This record gives sequence, C-alpha cells and structure tokens, in this order.
Amino acid sequence: MSSMNNIINEIKAALAPLKMETPADKQIAAVVRPEAIHNSLSYLRQRGFTQLCIVTCIDWIKDSEFELVYILFSWTDGIHVQLRARVDRNNPVMVTATDIFPGARYYEREVTEFFGVEFTGNEDAGKPLFLEIWDDLPPLRKDFDPQAYSDSKFPMRERGNEFVSEIGGTEK
Amino acid sequence: MNEVKLFLGPQHPGMHGNYSVHMYVDGDIIEKARPTPGFLHRGFEKLMERRHWMGNLALIPRICVPEPDINEFVYAQGIEMLANIEVPDKAHWIRMLVLEMARVMVHLMSLGFIGGPTGMYTATYWAIAQRDLILDLFEELCGARIYHMYIVPGGVRKDLPEGFTDRVLAMMDELEVKIPEYEELILKHPIIHARAKDNIMLPAEVVWELGVTGIGMRSATGEENDLRKVKPYAHYDKVEFEVPTATYSDALTRLNLKVREMYQSMRIIRQVIDKMPAEGPVNVPVSPGNALRWTVPEGMVYSAVESSRGEYGYFIVSDGSEMPYRIAVRGASFPQGLLGIEKYLKGHRIDDASIWMDTMGVCSPEIDR
Amino acid sequence: MVLKNDDNRNIWEKIGDYFSANSIWMKWYCTGCGAIEMPPTMTSRFDMERLGMGPMATPRQADVLLITGYLSTKTLRRVIYSYEQMNSPCFIVAFGSCTINGGIYYDSYATIGRLDKYLPVDLYIAGCMPRPETIMNGFNELIQMIKKGEAKGWKHYQENYEWYKKNQLDSLGEIIIKDEFHE
Repeated sequence: MSSMNNIINEIKAALAPLKMETPADKQIAAVVRPEAIHNSLSYLRQRGFTQLCIVTCIDWIKDSEFELVYILFSWTDGIHVQLRARVDRNNPVMVTATDIFPGARYYEREVTEFFGVEFTGNEDAGKPLFLEIWDDLPPLRKDFDPQAYSDSKFPMRERGNEFVSEIGGTEK
Repeated sequence: MNEVKLFLGPQHPGMHGNYSVHMYVDGDIIEKARPTPGFLHRGFEKLMERRHWMGNLALIPRICVPEPDINEFVYAQGIEMLANIEVPDKAHWIRMLVLEMARVMVHLMSLGFIGGPTGMYTATYWAIAQRDLILDLFEELCGARIYHMYIVPGGVRKDLPEGFTDRVLAMMDELEVKIPEYEELILKHPIIHARAKDNIMLPAEVVWELGVTGIGMRSATGEENDLRKVKPYAHYDKVEFEVPTATYSDALTRLNLKVREMYQSMRIIRQVIDKMPAEGPVNVPVSPGNALRWTVPEGMVYSAVESSRGEYGYFIVSDGSEMPYRIAVRGASFPQGLLGIEKYLKGHRIDDASIWMDTMGVCSPEIDR
Repeated sequence: MVLKNDDNRNIWEKIGDYFSANSIWMKWYCTGCGAIEMPPTMTSRFDMERLGMGPMATPRQADVLLITGYLSTKTLRRVIYSYEQMNSPCFIVAFGSCTINGGIYYDSYATIGRLDKYLPVDLYIAGCMPRPETIMNGFNELIQMIKKGEAKGWKHYQENYEWYKKNQLDSLGEIIIKDEFHE
C-alpha cells in the first residue's frame, strides 16, 4: 500500500488536480481542467500507465456540462486511473488524444456520434460509425427519449380485446 | 492501378458474427480496409439507464453473446465496490467456477470456428458438440443454457445443486482425454498450417500502439499481462495457475495459446472444487428494504475482469437513485476489431481478414453494444 | 396479416413443393443474438441435416432465411436487399420474441418492433432464445407447411409489394445506402 500512496502523491504533485479520490481498491480518480487533459495524459503515459482502457462521456444535464472520462491502466503497478474533465454542454470541444494514444481514435469517434462532442485534430470524428442516416439528437443525451422515437418509427403490434366478456361466455 | 471496392459483408460463411469490413483490393491483396460495425447495435447504454438496478440483470448478459457471465460479474463487482459490501466466501468460489467454465466454453467455440475461414468443418462439428455438454451443466445449475443471470450483486442466486461438483469433475476428466484429439486435428493439420503458420503476425510494438489486451498481447510481448495475476479479484490469488505466453505471434501460436489456457482453466476448476467450503451463505442483501428496488450510493467506479479476449470492464456512474445514471461498456475486442483492422490488414490477402478476427478474438456484439 | 389456406396449386407445383420440402437450403446469415443456438442445431449433437436441411452461402441458391432474433435498422436494410435476391419459392422463419413485438429491446431506438410489416413471415418460433429442440420442431413444422402448400409468404410479398415497400421506407428512410464507404 505504500507504493499506492507514493503514486497518489506523485500524481497530485505533477497534475495539480481539482479533486482527487480513491473510489475503490487500487483505483485513483483525478478531476482536472479541460485545458490540462493533454499534458496530464502525456505525464501519465510516461509514468507507466500505457494502456488506454476507454474514453467516454457523462451528460450532466442539470449542470449543463459534459464530463469526459479517460481511464488508463498500468500493467506494472496494477492500478487504474480515471482522468475526468468537464466541458460546456452547449459548445463541447476537446483536443484529441490520438497523438499520445493512437487507440483513442475510435473511442473519440463514438463519443462524437453519441454525444456531439467535437475533437479537434481527429479528422475521422465526424463520420458515422454505429448509426446510419441518423436524423435526430445524438442518442445518449439525456433529453432524447428512445421510447417516443421507437413508437413513432417502428410501430408495435395492436392488441385486440383479450378479455372474456362475461362469465362462462366466449371471447369477442 | 486497378483497385476494386469490395465488402466482406455481413452475410458470409467465413465472417465471424454479424460484422463487415470494407476494403479496396488489388488482385487478392488488400490495399485499404475499414471496419463497419453497427449491425448489432441495440443502444444498451441508453436502455440500462431506464431500468432498475435489479432489472438490468435480465438485459446485460446479452451484451457479449458467447460469454455472458463476465457481464454479470463486472456489474455485480461494480455495485459491490460502490455500496461497499463484502461478498461471502463461498460465493467467491462459485463465481470463479462459473467464470472458468465459461472461459473453457468460449475457447472451445473459438477453436471450432476456425473451420469457417479455412473450410475445415470437422473442427466445428466436434468442438461445438463438445461445448454443448458444458451447456448441459449450466442448465442444471441455473435453468438456462445461454443467458444464466446467476451472478447477482451480493453473491450468487442460489447454492450449487446436489452432486454438481462430481459432474463437473467428470466433465473435466472427459475434456482431458478429448482436448489432445483437437490439438491433433487442428494444430497439426496441413490446411491450418498453410493458412495460419507464419501468417498474420503481430509484432510487439503494434500491441502498445493499438491497446490490445488478452491473447494478442501475451503472444507478442511474452509478459504475463493477465488481470487475474496483476490485479486479482475473487480469490484468484489463492489458486495456482500459469499464464501461457509466447514471443512470436502468428495465428497458429495464438490458437496454441488458447489450448494452453484451456488446460490452465481446468486446473483452476479442480482447485476451486477442492478448496470450496461445503456449507455457507451464498448471498447478502445489497441494501435494506425492498428486494427488487434498492438504491446504490453515489460514486463513479470502473470494474474490470479478464475475459477470454482481454480486459472487459464497465464504468458505472450512480447518483444515489434506483436507476443507474450512466454505464459505459468497454468491450474487450474494441481495439483489435476496429483499429486493428484499419491499420493492420494492409498487405494481407482477403481471406486473412477472417482468420485475424477468429484468432485475435473479435466478438461483434460487444463492439456494437 | 392472415394467409388464406386454399390449396389451388396445380400438379407441377405440388410435385415441386414435395421435393423442395425435403431438401431445404438455409441461408447462412446470423442476424441477431439468437444465432448462438444455430451452431448446436447444425452440428453433430442435434444434427439438422437429418431433416434434409443444410447451410448455403449465397442467397441466390438458398430457400429459407432465418431471422434469428432482433433486427437493427442497419441489418434490416441488408436483409431486405438479400431477400429480394432469393429465388421464389423462398420462406422466412422468425426466431424469438423480438420479431413478434420488440422483445426485451422494445424501447430501443435502433431495433424494429414487428417483423411482418417489412417482410412476410411464414413461421414464428417462440423463446428467448429458442432451444435447439424447439428449432428442430419448428423446422419440422415448416416442412409440413411446405408440403401442404401453406407457406405462401413469397406470393404475399409479390402481390402486396407496395404495402411492404411503404412500411419499409417509413421506418428506414432509404433501403440501399449510397454512401457506404464514407469517401
């Protein structure tokens, strides 16, 4: 556990995060400003966190912000790190991470498609990947209602009268 | 320059699942390849936000269709991390038993499906029939063949039936006799050697660039990078097993590693049955109150497991209510199924695309979700 | 949609149906999560080939199309495209509860609700997902239906083509995608 405390102190000194916590055993979470994401990712990559697990996004509609989450893993220490940053919901822009982690290209494309976040520097990010001819809001936003969309485009089977009309009687 | 646009489309006998690769070919050699996922997209991450925590258990096994137990395990582990509850001892051993049996099943199926791209259908006929006998064991345990819904937050649903462990041990004895026959048929066969030996190599630098985990990483770098050893969960630190590695990663070596991993899984299962306590509780309630509508405390946590294809994880965000706020799924084959195909298939033949997908373990439902 | 059961086939159609019922070629397309139970049905434990059914790679030589489970909109476009390439008489068998009324993904923005608004279905097999024994039962039923002349989905599709096309275009937008390669 001392090595875990060492790592926490080193990261805190290097990144100067807004908030830092350990949500679980061998997991660190650090919240930074969006401008500091690129430097933080470079620092963590050199520190030994060489695997990018996932790049994803959370929609905090009440605060009108998107929170971008980068999760990294280090095979030598066995520790996961969550790096989070909040951007404005009405104009979500973030610098791409593909020069540090080439594998981030498709994760960023997915976040663009489902949330509408722009990644400057990733020229593939606008092309559709999972959806085809999509004509509505980005689907994973909280103000998109999938049931209403599904009922309007894909009608369900109409159910007739299923009850017996009277006791001992026959179905209508 | 005479290039032809071709799609190795969703309907193809050699294609591994419902997936498509668009390529520009010159003769038989691929010049440019683009993956096209999305055929199995159901919008799971949105659907999971609209159901209660317990109701999600019926939905999540369908995210990874060949190996559904890892979904239930990561979901349960994430909720236990957030709610800070301790699972009883016997439940940990039973969870390990279920996970290792699922791993043996998936490796058998992946070994058998080498028959699709290469045309050697005998492998498929034998391996799928063998896997079916393990599905019988699962049916006895929890009532369903494919989607078990057995591992719940707080433990497992019910205790093992009478005599179950004897039948599992009998199945292991039978597999010890049968797996050398598969090795003889598949790994020493001239057709497979002609298609897979020294073909579709994966050098070590490419592993770090793509972010590949699992058999692809272990066969190229030679290090024991397995989550069960590096960050053990659920009593994996109390059993002895080895993690097979290699340094020369062609398609035949990756198939060989799958067979080696099957032997190690059988070794783990025997030790688990030996060390499991005979009596004991198997589940604890997650939070007081109603059994079906409970709340999970606030927090954000990432929980991961070593599946047969790599690191599989869920990022769970809870805001203290009865439904999850956001769950993001990290499919284990996302790097090799998307970026691997784009950067890496150039220069290979058209028929090598399917062998890449089979040996690296690309499972299309978990990419599309 | 109810298919009337009047048997007005001539003698050549009856002979043709008898032979085609005993050797059905199944098109190899795993469209949804129910397809994980197709390999056990095809291989040596449950052995579909003793009913005379075998897999076939190309749609132009196949007889039956199995819709194994849900259909997302992207897959539905390709299924329609390849169903229209199959030569008649051809049949469709729908597996699982997702084809009847949406199933467990009833409120998803990417999957369809009812299959028989877009393609004519001859036989439904219940389950989520159906076991191999249920699938073999279903195939037996399909063989009896073909021999008696009750599997007339392809005729219904040809006669009501505009109705099917209108439903498909309402739900999908366009069927043949022009810009697949994103160039």
